[in-house]
Amino acid sequence: MTTFQVANIDYIAILPLLIVFGTAVIGVLVEAFVGRERRHTIQATLAVAGLLAAFVAVIVATGHMGLTLGHVDTATDRHLFALSIDGPALFMQGALLLLSVLGVLTMAERLGGTGSDTFTPSGASTPGSQIEAVSARAGLITSEVFPLAMISVGGMMLFPTVNDLIGMFVALEVLSLPLYVLTGLARRRRLLSQEASLKYFLLGAFSSAFFLFGTALLYGYAGSVYFRDLSQAVSAGPISMNGLLVPGAFLVFVGLFFKIGAVPFHAWTPDAYQGAPTPVTGFMAACTKAAAFGAILRLAYTGLDTARWEWTNGLIVVAILTMVVGSVLAVTQTDMKRLLAYSAISHAGFILVGVIAFDQKGISSVLFYTVAYGFSTIAAFAIVGLVRQGGSEATHLSQWAGLGRNHPLVAGTFAFLLLAFAGIPLTSGFVAKYVVFSAAIGTGGATGTGLVIIGIVCSAITVFVYLRIIVLMYFSDAPDDTVAFVTPSAVTTFSIAIGTMVTLALGVLPAALLDLADRSSVFIR
Amino acid sequence: MSTGMGTLVHQGTYAAGLAAQDGEAHAATGFTAYAWLLIALPAFGALFLLVGGRRTNSFGPVLATLLSWGSFVIGAIITISMMGRAAGDRPKSVHLFDWITGGSFDVQAGLLIDQLSICFVLLITFVGSLIHVYSLGYMQDDPDKRRFFAYLNLFVAAMLLLVLADSYLLLYVGWEGVGLASYLLIGFWYHNPVFATAGNKSFFANRVGDFGMTVAIILMFFYFGGVDFRTVQAGVAGLQGAHQGVMTAIALTLLLGATAKSAQLPLQSWLGDAMAGPTPVSALIHAATMVTAGVYLVVRAGPIFEASPTAQLVVVIVGSATLIFGAIIGCAKDDIKKALAASTISQIGYMMLAAGLGPIGYAFAIFHLLTHGFFKAGLFLGAGSVMHGMKDQVDMRRFGGLWVMMKVTWVTFGLAYLSIIGFPLLSGFWSKDKIIEAAFVGEGWRPWVFGLAALIGAGITAFYMSRLFFMTFHGKRRWTDEVHPHESGLTMTVPMVVLAFGSAFLGLILGPTGIITSWLAPFTGGVQELHPVIPESAVIALTLILVAIGIALAWMMYLRDEVPQAAPRGNLLTQAARVDLYQDHVNEALLMRPGIHLTRSLVFADNEGVDGAVGGLAAFVGGTSSRMRKIQNGFVRSYALTFLTGIVAIIGALWVIS
Amino acid sequence: MTTRDIVFVVVGAITGLSALLAVTTRHVVHAALWLLVALGSLAGCYIVLGQELVGLVQLLVYVGAIVVLVLFALMLTRAPIGPKDEIDTPRWQRAAAVALGAGLTALIATLVIPVLGSQLVDLDGGAAAAGQGSSAGATTPGIARAIFGTWVWPFELLSVLLLVALIGAFAVSRLVLGSRATRVTRATGAGDSG
Repeated sequence: MTTFQVANIDYIAILPLLIVFGTAVIGVLVEAFVGRERRHTIQATLAVAGLLAAFVAVIVATGHMGLTLGHVDTATDRHLFALSIDGPALFMQGALLLLSVLGVLTMAERLGGTGSDTFTPSGASTPGSQIEAVSARAGLITSEVFPLAMISVGGMMLFPTVNDLIGMFVALEVLSLPLYVLTGLARRRRLLSQEASLKYFLLGAFSSAFFLFGTALLYGYAGSVYFRDLSQAVSAGPISMNGLLVPGAFLVFVGLFFKIGAVPFHAWTPDAYQGAPTPVTGFMAACTKAAAFGAILRLAYTGLDTARWEWTNGLIVVAILTMVVGSVLAVTQTDMKRLLAYSAISHAGFILVGVIAFDQKGISSVLFYTVAYGFSTIAAFAIVGLVRQGGSEATHLSQWAGLGRNHPLVAGTFAFLLLAFAGIPLTSGFVAKYVVFSAAIGTGGATGTGLVIIGIVCSAITVFVYLRIIVLMYFSDAPDDTVAFVTPSAVTTFSIAIGTMVTLALGVLPAALLDLADRSSVFIR
Repeated sequence: MSTGMGTLVHQGTYAAGLAAQDGEAHAATGFTAYAWLLIALPAFGALFLLVGGRRTNSFGPVLATLLSWGSFVIGAIITISMMGRAAGDRPKSVHLFDWITGGSFDVQAGLLIDQLSICFVLLITFVGSLIHVYSLGYMQDDPDKRRFFAYLNLFVAAMLLLVLADSYLLLYVGWEGVGLASYLLIGFWYHNPVFATAGNKSFFANRVGDFGMTVAIILMFFYFGGVDFRTVQAGVAGLQGAHQGVMTAIALTLLLGATAKSAQLPLQSWLGDAMAGPTPVSALIHAATMVTAGVYLVVRAGPIFEASPTAQLVVVIVGSATLIFGAIIGCAKDDIKKALAASTISQIGYMMLAAGLGPIGYAFAIFHLLTHGFFKAGLFLGAGSVMHGMKDQVDMRRFGGLWVMMKVTWVTFGLAYLSIIGFPLLSGFWSKDKIIEAAFVGEGWRPWVFGLAALIGAGITAFYMSRLFFMTFHGKRRWTDEVHPHESGLTMTVPMVVLAFGSAFLGLILGPTGIITSWLAPFTGGVQELHPVIPESAVIALTLILVAIGIALAWMMYLRDEVPQAAPRGNLLTQAARVDLYQDHVNEALLMRPGIHLTRSLVFADNEGVDGAVGGLAAFVGGTSSRMRKIQNGFVRSYALTFLTGIVAIIGALWVIS
Repeated sequence: MTTRDIVFVVVGAITGLSALLAVTTRHVVHAALWLLVALGSLAGCYIVLGQELVGLVQLLVYVGAIVVLVLFALMLTRAPIGPKDEIDTPRWQRAAAVALGAGLTALIATLVIPVLGSQLVDLDGGAAAAGQGSSAGATTPGIARAIFGTWVWPFELLSVLLLVALIGAFAVSRLVLGSRATRVTRATGAGDSG
């Protein structure tokens, strides 16, 4: 009988995670014990405070890098640790926390009401029903969204930090489940929201099943789910088992590709982005993508790195499909949120190009890209959520015509963010594309160069999409004057301003973040 | 231009170029260190006017004009201080900040002030400032004048950044900025759909060009490990010979960018349409200023082109084809601005031709670019003045006999006209003649083909410019009833007079005195003697004879004979030239159709409900949207099916591969 | 061929068949019931393979809790449960789904069966022989050690997941009836100051 080995835990290293989950639990208690009038303010404040505290903890944790939560098996000398607190993990955690602060702030927008403006007070009511109207009149609020968002952030932080496939699966579910719920809570266009939520949930479950199936195959291959063991198993090579490696690796990737909306696993993206409350869409687009790319990096660079000849071709196919389909279909969209969803898909393709670089530059460029894109996208969705017609969001493109003449500042900011998506110089988008593409060219060989050429063609296509919106806002006449930009409170203004300023700052002076990303690009396993 | 001789020249140029940049482009001191102000002043103006909003309506335009002149003054002072130094000590670099640095990515943002860039700085700020002054008068009554001036300032700032950048990446920033400003200027009167569509077309051409630029920059990064001029130049020298294909690839992708920005074949079609834009002012800013960016790029990237004779040959072919192409179109256009735009395309073709000839041509390309900047600006301002007096009419068939009413315009326009056709001793004569001579240099078939193209181009130029001049200022009055032509105000005529002086004397000052060739000697490997295949005097004589024939033909057709007020049907060539020699049809067949098919098939494959793109601007894909309309298929089972298909297909493919 | 092999084949066949019926039936309650059978017989498979704990957990969690929950949900939402033609899957999609499902199965099978087909695992010899290098073993004490030793962190996280499910269910399902709502209106009449 082997003795029971207690897990070694470095509490400082996991403090950020503990703070975030702790805040979420406190949030649940607040939900139970605090009166409705004060609940919204307290919940929002608590969430932001928790996120900021966790960010400070991330900075502290940089002094405690290493493997934690587990033990070294004395008999076999295997490292059985659940978490790997290393550069990429802490970089992602910090980035996710800052992005989440902006995300939570936009969710907290009340526009003079008692609760969040974009969340329904009564999730189960039939759209347009009596009950819905009554509960809206009664001033009910859904302040559960804050604990839910916090748990999701916790899952996201965990996603790039975990050191084994089981942990990755649990993190995947922890981050997804709250998002499914949040997606279905839109106050306006409830039917669309509920439908989106269900679709997202069903397809999410579908992809999780593939992830688990892949995990099982990889376990069959290596006899372990730890990334370190996986990597060693491939180099040590039980050749007879090779048949399990390729499908296993690819199926595990499928679960992660689903989260970033890579083609052909992207079908949920436009529906969910359109149906979800707009702040949640921004939060999903920025944070889920960042977390999932962190996880993809960890899997590709620590777990399956030695086997990469077996699965890289799959990744290349997915990257090409994602770039092409995302950018071409963005051209035909008429709904702003769907358009930005396809834009998000194409960006996922561009980032995948950086993953294929397979060296430190690839890691740092992906880290940089996700952060740069995250800040722009949160600000962009925050603006989309505030352009209203007759009380509901005006997301049809035709409603944006002439916005530049009636609301020059808003339209200017939005146009700037679109230019960042397009990758025009002096925006973060340009630098991000530059570093990702040059990383792929530098070490990706002929394949990398080919991918980059496709990437450049695709970004040229997407530029057309974004410029079309700018033209629409500035060079077309508004059909009538009923489309208005609702003046937000300080919280949303703050997050839009920060998102835009970061987009500009990273375009003009990206050196500091690039440097940080570069120093954070070494995995520990 | 034989390869043997070429190689010899290359080595000389490398040595000179590297010496100019590597050894001595040390940090700027004294006033040159403030070169960033050149860009900062107009950039500030643009920002101030745009952010300041209506409050700046009253003083904004004047402020913008003053800032532009401020840039010119700084440029002039820097030039004077540069002239005071020895040739080798002239290039100076100004470090701005560390732009993209992080581990292995290292790009510094800095300015390079050397003989080449300062030429452009002077041209851009001087002509640009004159345009500002002129616009004060021309745009007097426009309610949105302030915004227009903000765009003008933005344009000047971006253009200066383009020519002053010390790396291809920063150059690209300016490149995009110029594109943005031009887009804004063309679409300035956005309520007119035709103008907005023109903006769209320019946008497409420029995207194709940007694609070329991006690929070129990435290739440079890959092969040379950096994108600043110094690293690239050193890299070219290091890799020469071994990587001929790479050099050709980089050079050709750069050329693609240059053809888009400079409206050269095959991407020239946008310039004519851009002339539909609101004002002759924006027409001018494109025709006289922006289009020179491509020539600048080819000259600046000279070492790369020199390392690939193939690419050089392509540049020469593009240049000579475009100069003929533009000239033929110019003969058929009745819209005065479009005729001038065609002439611009043709003249830039001359510059490209010269730039493609390698070091012997660089100085003449730049020389012609400078003189062209003056006489073409004069022509456009003159055309604007005519339009101003003719209630914004542009159809030359409704002009005629205007010289009586608009004396100043007539004289200044006339000088510019004589200059462009190469009338002896005027600016255009000196610069164009040198290019034709240079085109005749070399061995084998090339000098004959390219030389003759340049020669014939000169003849056609004389024809269509004379046609334009006669139809506008002479002959019978064919005005519509409501117009009462009158001379324009002082803010418009003074710039025209200034430019007319330039059109007349700039060539004389710079050309025969050898100032321009010795000034640019570091780039051309020293002042070189031309040895054309036919004697120099014969070239000049032939040119003058052809020019005379051109004028005579125009005189017969448009001065002696009555000009019909409705355009006659014309022969096949005329008809083709009127529609830009079917350029749009070619573009449609080669680019639009495949694009539409790709979109349509992807939409089908994605089960995506499409309800059409929005707005007239989306005609590119929107035109077929009704055919793409499918019922919304948002069932989650379809999504799952796509999902599963992807998995099966990719695992199957991986299995087949392994 | 031992008795155990025969039992395994039978239980396995039941599992596969009922799973197939669960996705092909057009009646949603039937689907839930077939799912119950499939999950139950899967527990049987585990027990035959000597993993009593896993089998029992499977019975408790899936059969006992989840499928029952599914049935309750169907009853409570008063959703239509019969077949409906207008939202029926079109024939070509069924065919495509069958082809793809079969394709994936065949693909995985061709990759996996040659690898694992010749592997023999001694079920009675304890866990030490199962799989290469697994130290904890698949016995009940081994699982306990693994869960509370190495896997304590994912295990704890699962509680977070359950918490999310609780809050989420609450947030989604909240319904206010008219009378209570008016009471609430009075209670919050003072409004929110912040």
